[in-house]
Amino acid sequence: MSDTLQVQDQPAVIPARRRIRLPLAPVLVFLILMIIPFYADGFWLQTGLFAMAAAVGAIGLNLLTGATGQLSMGHAFFLAIGAYGYVYFAADSSSTLSGLGLPPLVAMVLAVALSGVAGLLFSPISGRLSGVNLGIATLALIFLGQHVLFNAEEITGGVNGRSVPVFELFGFAFDGTTPLTVLGIPFGGAEKLWYLGLVVLAVAAYFATGVLRSRPGRALNAIRDHRIAAGVMGVPVARYRASVFVLSSMYGGLAGVLVALAFQRTVPDYFGIVLSLEYLAMIVIGGLGTAQGAILGALMVTLLPQVLTRYSDSLPFVAPPGSGGTLSPSIAARFLYGAAVVGIVLFLPGGLLSLWARIRTRIIPIPRKKESNS
Amino acid sequence: MRIRTVSAALALALLAAGCSGKSADKAEDAGADGVKTGPGITKDKITLGGLTDLTGPFASLGKTVTQAEQLYFDEVNAAGGICGRKIEVIVRDHGYDPQKAVSFYTELAPKVVGFPQFIGSPMVAAVKDRIEADKALTIPLAWSTTLLGSKYIQVTGTTYDIQGINAVEFLSKQGLVKKGDKLGVVYAEGDYGQNALTGVKWAAKELGLVAVEQRVKATDTDMSAPVTALKDAGVTAITASIGPSALASLAGLARARGIKAPIIGNQAAYAPQLLKTPAAPALLKGFYIVGSGIPLSADLPAVKKVADAYQAKFAGQVLDGGVLAGYSSAAVFGDALKKACAAKDLSREGIVTAHRSQSAYDNGLGIVADFSTVTAPPSLSDYIMQPDAQVPGNAKIVRPAETSELAKKYKVPVGTIS
Repeated sequence: MSDTLQVQDQPAVIPARRRIRLPLAPVLVFLILMIIPFYADGFWLQTGLFAMAAAVGAIGLNLLTGATGQLSMGHAFFLAIGAYGYVYFAADSSSTLSGLGLPPLVAMVLAVALSGVAGLLFSPISGRLSGVNLGIATLALIFLGQHVLFNAEEITGGVNGRSVPVFELFGFAFDGTTPLTVLGIPFGGAEKLWYLGLVVLAVAAYFATGVLRSRPGRALNAIRDHRIAAGVMGVPVARYRASVFVLSSMYGGLAGVLVALAFQRTVPDYFGIVLSLEYLAMIVIGGLGTAQGAILGALMVTLLPQVLTRYSDSLPFVAPPGSGGTLSPSIAARFLYGAAVVGIVLFLPGGLLSLWARIRTRIIPIPRKKESNS
Repeated sequence: MRIRTVSAALALALLAAGCSGKSADKAEDAGADGVKTGPGITKDKITLGGLTDLTGPFASLGKTVTQAEQLYFDEVNAAGGICGRKIEVIVRDHGYDPQKAVSFYTELAPKVVGFPQFIGSPMVAAVKDRIEADKALTIPLAWSTTLLGSKYIQVTGTTYDIQGINAVEFLSKQGLVKKGDKLGVVYAEGDYGQNALTGVKWAAKELGLVAVEQRVKATDTDMSAPVTALKDAGVTAITASIGPSALASLAGLARARGIKAPIIGNQAAYAPQLLKTPAAPALLKGFYIVGSGIPLSADLPAVKKVADAYQAKFAGQVLDGGVLAGYSSAAVFGDALKKACAAKDLSREGIVTAHRSQSAYDNGLGIVADFSTVTAPPSLSDYIMQPDAQVPGNAKIVRPAETSELAKKYKVPVGTIS
């Protein structure tokens, strides 16, 4: 695993970054993201919301697994805490369900803090165990979580789930009940949440990049690459491992809040083992150890299957559902997705991000002189 | 230079945004033929949505249901369509993933009239609030009481708790259990099993039976632990509200360990494919099925017609419970559209109103349903069936559909499982 990780090491990325100081690419990406709600229909916005939530969660997992080398199978558990925590803090009590009825922003912060506390409670274990052993231990969290979600009905709503309270910021509600038209385009819940998601994702990515590029980030990488050497150099290994676990749980919780807002209802079945595995797939596919890698992976894992399924009718050799053909579009979509994942893991061991780095250094080698002019 | 680039790009973006094709929902208005229309209706086409599972755990059921619905709508189109419009169904596969279900629901909701097929109660639960807001008539392929209470969601048969009550009463009438006996209740976690448990427990209490509950995970397929517990408890009969593979394990292990007690399972627990497994001998002896879905072997002309047409169109494919469930729910939706057409109102609200005005609906496929009450299942009558490898659909009726006296006294939970 460690030789894959080294591809993503910071020194490889920094020189490339230094060469392109002109932020044209980020500005373009930002602009495109800003105008998407003006064009995209509900399906794309909804899928995009899920992708942004997944990206936040994947960044958190990448801090833990990619940067520190600690495997976690329990990420879905922290998403569940974030999602249900938000609902519990923000919803009003009813005859069958309890809630605190706090302002949504406070509820969001508390939900993230709650996930952090859950991560902290697990720290005696997460500080001591390394790599795969931690993966096995965190597996238990999934089963614990599912049991609680189905049985603590007063808080979670049991199998039925609970309605998610609308997010509000200073009286501005992120839903479709108050009509809002921007430049002739009606803004519903999905459009408003899109911008909320963008802000949250940007802050999450900025913070994670800061952590990774500074002293704690180096310490985490040192623990991943050589635990004993890191300890000898004075890195408090157990404390760092426990702290990064807490941080990663908080990212999971934040992703959970976004997922809840995108779903508008909590569904206990969603927070299972498959979700944890999908998050692991995201960081491996995107690129281990960086925020950008996590975002790319989250986009790929969330968007690709849905887009393939949606447009699979137009693939050659497939029969429309209901016509009785052997190769149905949905099965063809699964095959394509599987092939894409195998292709990436096989030919891009550093993940999608390494492809981007390769393109950037090969196609746009900007001369150094021009840099000073701009 | 940088600032200029940025501001130029920004201005361009704003300009472009101004000419986006995205606009507000079209208002519902009367078409040229004087019929009020709504989303999903054009002057020559009615578009319906199907959210199904073609790649997840219910893939084989999803395929049958989708094909059976297509069969019905093809027949309707061949006969000239509804209101002079052809029916078109857009099917999306959510693979039993709530996230995909929400995305595809969001995609289809503005384009379609309603959903004659929606598989999976966790998926329906995930978009329940949206269905309420969109007012689209939806027929879930799940029979839990959590889905009652909404005007727009129509459960088409008896709910799992009613099936549980009818099952226990059948056992009691047959003399298979008597007062003071122990009744084993094996149920899966989730709204199916827990909803069934509610009914079984209530009926057991009414009849003076002692319920021995055995809760299993919905994904468990090894039933050795509950079988051991039931043997130790010495139960006289067993109800099973679990999935088909779990049922195969339960029946096989119970008979192998010498438990002779009859087993009665919900329709959702049985699949015709089970008779090709080593559990077949155990299922052919002392096993009953309770449910409101008429089996394909029933001696009714309408049922025979559907079975023959399906086999002619999809030769060599499995005939499971999905054939009639799918055809029947498509027919319920089609008849609602026809009624709405007669009232010259094909708006979503108009269709739901037309549908809910039917208090004795009978499409010749077994059960007479009352769709006028939102807070109760449309019927309380269940068939009792037994597996039989010789008949189409591998299930034969052993007792025609009946409403038990007990079920009439029972108060159905609405919107929850108990």
